[in-house]
Amino acid sequence: MPKLGVYDLAVRYGKLTAISDLSFAVAEGERVFISGPNGAGKSSLLSAIAGAVRAAHGRIEMDGEILSGLGPESIARRGLSMVPEGRRIFSGLTVLENLSVGTGMRNDRSAVAEDLEIAYTAFPILRERAKSPAGNLSGGQQQMLAIARALMTNPKVMLVDEPSLGLAPKVVDEVYDRLCQLQALRALTLVIVEQSSARAARVGGRMLLMRGGRIVADGDAASFAARDLLTEAYFGDAA
Amino acid sequence: MSLQLLFDAMALGGIYAVAALGIALIFGVMRLVNFAHGQFIACAVFALIVPSADALAVMGLGALPAPVLIPLILLIGAGLAVAAEALVFRPMRNASPVALMVSSFALGVALQNLLLVLYGGRPKAVSLWAELGHPVRIAGASVPLLQLIVVAAVVVVLAGLALMLRKTRLGLEMRAAAEDFTMARMLGVRSNRVISAAFALSGGLAAVVALVLVAQTGVADVRMGGQIMLVAFIATVVGGMGSLSGAVAAGLGIGAASALLQAGLPAEARPFRDAFLYGGVILVLLFRPQGLFAPVGAKPRV
Ligand SMILES: Nc1ncnc2c1ncn2[C@@H]1O[C@H](COP(=O)(O)OP(=O)(O)O)[C@@H](O)[C@H]1O
Ligand SMILES: [Mg+2]
Repeated sequence: MPKLGVYDLAVRYGKLTAISDLSFAVAEGERVFISGPNGAGKSSLLSAIAGAVRAAHGRIEMDGEILSGLGPESIARRGLSMVPEGRRIFSGLTVLENLSVGTGMRNDRSAVAEDLEIAYTAFPILRERAKSPAGNLSGGQQQMLAIARALMTNPKVMLVDEPSLGLAPKVVDEVYDRLCQLQALRALTLVIVEQSSARAARVGGRMLLMRGGRIVADGDAASFAARDLLTEAYFGDAA
Repeated sequence: MSLQLLFDAMALGGIYAVAALGIALIFGVMRLVNFAHGQFIACAVFALIVPSADALAVMGLGALPAPVLIPLILLIGAGLAVAAEALVFRPMRNASPVALMVSSFALGVALQNLLLVLYGGRPKAVSLWAELGHPVRIAGASVPLLQLIVVAAVVVVLAGLALMLRKTRLGLEMRAAAEDFTMARMLGVRSNRVISAAFALSGGLAAVVALVLVAQTGVADVRMGGQIMLVAFIATVVGGMGSLSGAVAAGLGIGAASALLQAGLPAEARPFRDAFLYGGVILVLLFRPQGLFAPVGAKPRV
């Protein structure tokens, strides 16, 4: 049984069809990148899995349990966590308060304290800034906070939407380093939207390529990157 | 400025602030302007007295001693608001903000008609805590004891609410939900719990306003909630929709300005007090259409 299964998914906004006939499965502990041009439906896919937008059709399962139709809070409580596009930090709350929002559903107080320590160790800046408003953090720090905030829910599956958007390459390196460490440490299943196939290849994992609301290719990230390099070589650096 | 006038200004401003907060709390989490808030206030007023169409009210719950009466009326206000949410607004959770607003109007009209059926349309004389009308002397000025108590009560209510929002789990969830409701839900925050809590608090605040209004005016009138709702709504707009501290500040400001204008304007200009007041409001909104304290990053519901 896959950890996460998406079957025949369709997502519509009024008359606009963002996703149709989309199916894929993710194994436990796997790292899957989703790539594709703007408007391909990547964010819509993650939002549908997290329950933030309603699926018009199809079924989403985690550990064989049907998630589609549940509200986002119920899906979060089953162990699926989201690092959304644009980070969506609670800017009026302190850093520590941001990290605490997702622990309300947990009863294991001592494990929560351990997770906070893990988050602080992975991102020491968050410990330093724990008491200051999250809105004062830089873009990279907000991305780290969004990842740490998702981690505090004790997820089994984590969805990460374009963590590299708007960040300097060095910061992106750091974000991915930490993400991979946390994945190993917590045995996470990761689904990451990433535009750059070169970046995905360097981090390593499987890659799904989306276009027009469908998956058009599925394979190892490294093979995509090689193909993109070829395209780049022939057609300039558009890719 | 006399001490008496200062307390008048603080008491009126405090009541407007508490009423505005009742509207801002619900707007914060639901993007709903609850126009039934005035009728929540009126219902809490009439809960004090025995249903009848007579001009002189017979105290029902209102006859209970204050330590019992106050929590009971607060609970009734909270319960009414929570029930209204569950019965009217929850089935419309995915409706547009305009549809929600219209149904809040409808709910207000329904509640007002219920009161008319039970109590008749004539204003009633109600004597609640009449002994508090006695003046006390502070620093040479004479101030009604009731004004002192009202000011103290407003301070206690505002401080209590601020503490609750800052220090409790529920408060944290409400603040997160007010900023980005869907994101809070994706972190496991239960929407029903947060919304019910906002309505309960809002209904409790409506009951506080009700108790103060009755004690101050000695009247129960089916329409009394509508007037204060109007001022409170204006205060939330001036304060910046969704900003709790903005609603409080604007409520205090409008109440204080109103009391000061009443005292300071020449007698022949007094009938136009509200024209001066709302002229000021319009000026503020011309320069800051988003209100004085527009909240950071407030995102639409769902
Ligand atoms: N909330 C929304 N309302 C209406 N249309 C939307 C909404 N979100 C996305 N879309 C549309 O759906 C399509 C897919 O968008 P999105 O999922 O954001 O793609 P991607 O993340 O791959 O850039 C686009 O055409 C976009 O304009
Ligand atoms: Mg996107």
